[in-house]
Amino acid sequence: MSDDGGRDVEAPPIISVRELTVRARDRVILERVTLDIPDRDVTGIIGPSGCGKTTLIRTMNRMAERSGGLAISGSVRYRGQEIYAPEVNPVLVRQKIGMVFQRPVVFPMSIFDNVAFGPRLNGLDGDELEAIVLRSLERAGLLGEVGSDLDRPALELSGGQQQRLCIARALAVEPRVLLLDEPTASLDPIAAQRVEALLFELRREYAVVLVTHNLQQAARVATRTAFLYQGRLIEYDETKRLFETPREKLTENYVTGRFG
Amino acid sequence: MIRDRGAGPTALAADGAELAAVSPRLRHRLRLDGIVRWALLGAFAAVFFPLFDMIYWVSVRAVPKFTLATFTEYQVGNAGGLAAMIEGTFVLIGLATAFATSIGLIAGIYTAEYAPPAVARIGRLAGNVLAGIPAIVIGYFGYFLFALYTGWGYTTLGGALTLSVLMVPFVYRTADLAFSSVPASQREAALALGARRHQYLRRLAWPIALPTVLTGVFLAMAIGLGETAPLVYTAGWSNTPWTGLFSPTSFLTGAIWLFYEQPPTLGALLTLAFQAAFLLIVIVVALNLGLQWLADRYRRRLRGLGA
Repeated sequence: MSDDGGRDVEAPPIISVRELTVRARDRVILERVTLDIPDRDVTGIIGPSGCGKTTLIRTMNRMAERSGGLAISGSVRYRGQEIYAPEVNPVLVRQKIGMVFQRPVVFPMSIFDNVAFGPRLNGLDGDELEAIVLRSLERAGLLGEVGSDLDRPALELSGGQQQRLCIARALAVEPRVLLLDEPTASLDPIAAQRVEALLFELRREYAVVLVTHNLQQAARVATRTAFLYQGRLIEYDETKRLFETPREKLTENYVTGRFG
Repeated sequence: MIRDRGAGPTALAADGAELAAVSPRLRHRLRLDGIVRWALLGAFAAVFFPLFDMIYWVSVRAVPKFTLATFTEYQVGNAGGLAAMIEGTFVLIGLATAFATSIGLIAGIYTAEYAPPAVARIGRLAGNVLAGIPAIVIGYFGYFLFALYTGWGYTTLGGALTLSVLMVPFVYRTADLAFSSVPASQREAALALGARRHQYLRRLAWPIALPTVLTGVFLAMAIGLGETAPLVYTAGWSNTPWTGLFSPTSFLTGAIWLFYEQPPTLGALLTLAFQAAFLLIVIVVALNLGLQWLADRYRRRLRGLGA
């Protein structure tokens, strides 16, 4: 792990998806999707509603199988290890690959207890726990705002703060990858901007995968962007290139707002 | 501000008739509204009149005759107090609540979280059926099982176990409901943090579900308190101090049932019957107030929890 800030282009991907197909009873949600997620960078996933982008990230930390009735085939590797291998425990996968949802899902407890939830599952307590809670809040840019009163009920925070709390809570488990499913869709523009800036900041330490409806958002924060349409990966490229000189007609139509 | 916008104040003034003239149609509607309002009030009063009348009827016969002896003395013949019945009621309800809560809660959590859908459906149906079985039938069941089959005869333990059979579906149904209605997003978020299912249940679902579970426990207690039928064939009767789980005991509802039927020459017993009824009403009111208080407290804590 080099920490000099320079990104090695040849670095192996942190997640590699190969020929991933997800079927529900009556239809195909994802069809033979193959892509690599680079470490320490923001990867955007765009596409119209129902294109399978949420399912795609939910397969990356084995949350998809919980929806029941889904047949998942193909391969998803995390740092070279197949996460769907029979000996792999999904609980450990989810600790390495965190997830943040569209609407902030705050637990009905204090700010501290929210962030401490994950570390406590692993038996952390005392000073060590407090340090990790403070560090996570700091990383999520929330510590300055909530200040010393971490015993306040988290449900009293604003929507934007709640979403950053969810990010802090995910970070407290010390994942390597953070999957975010339209994390700003339910926020007002200013709160959304703060979350966006935070994601851009987090790419220094984490692989960030951002599913978004908002094309400008992808353009602003994602280094590479994948365009999904009807369960297929249409195009995956440097974001600038995808938006400015798309290779595929479908991509061009979507990024120029002709449908979606 | 309005004046700035245009025509000036005179343009806004209505000529008297515009707001005062009531058409026949409108008058008819107003009259109908009045009738409906009285009908609603009447129905509302009809629901609560029996309750208040009953409380009054019991209170005037019970309250003036309360003395310390009512609570401390044991009834002998046409004298004494309700000490044995109060002891018995607390022991029976305490034990039955403990049994019904532990079993109902575990079964409810299983139904909500672990059971395959078909099993959960059967469980819920069975719970509803059990809640609807007449108390007297449960009393006979308890008699055959806990008095005859075990060879215990009339015992406090047998009474409490029978009473818990009657109470358990209320705990079970609310526990199932409480855990089923924790928002799915909360579970998702906990699992995405790497929680195992039991960790999710203990650390997140339990605090959210607790107020609802308590509602069920209180409801079961209130229902159990009011029952006589499951106890008369199982707990037996005893107007002497309580001596243990395997001895018979008396209970407040039994005092009402037994003493109210006595001839007028035994007037003290009739008073004890009313006093037992009064005590039960007080306990049930206290349970409900406690429940209200708990519910308010938790609602405040959970406010804003998205579905």
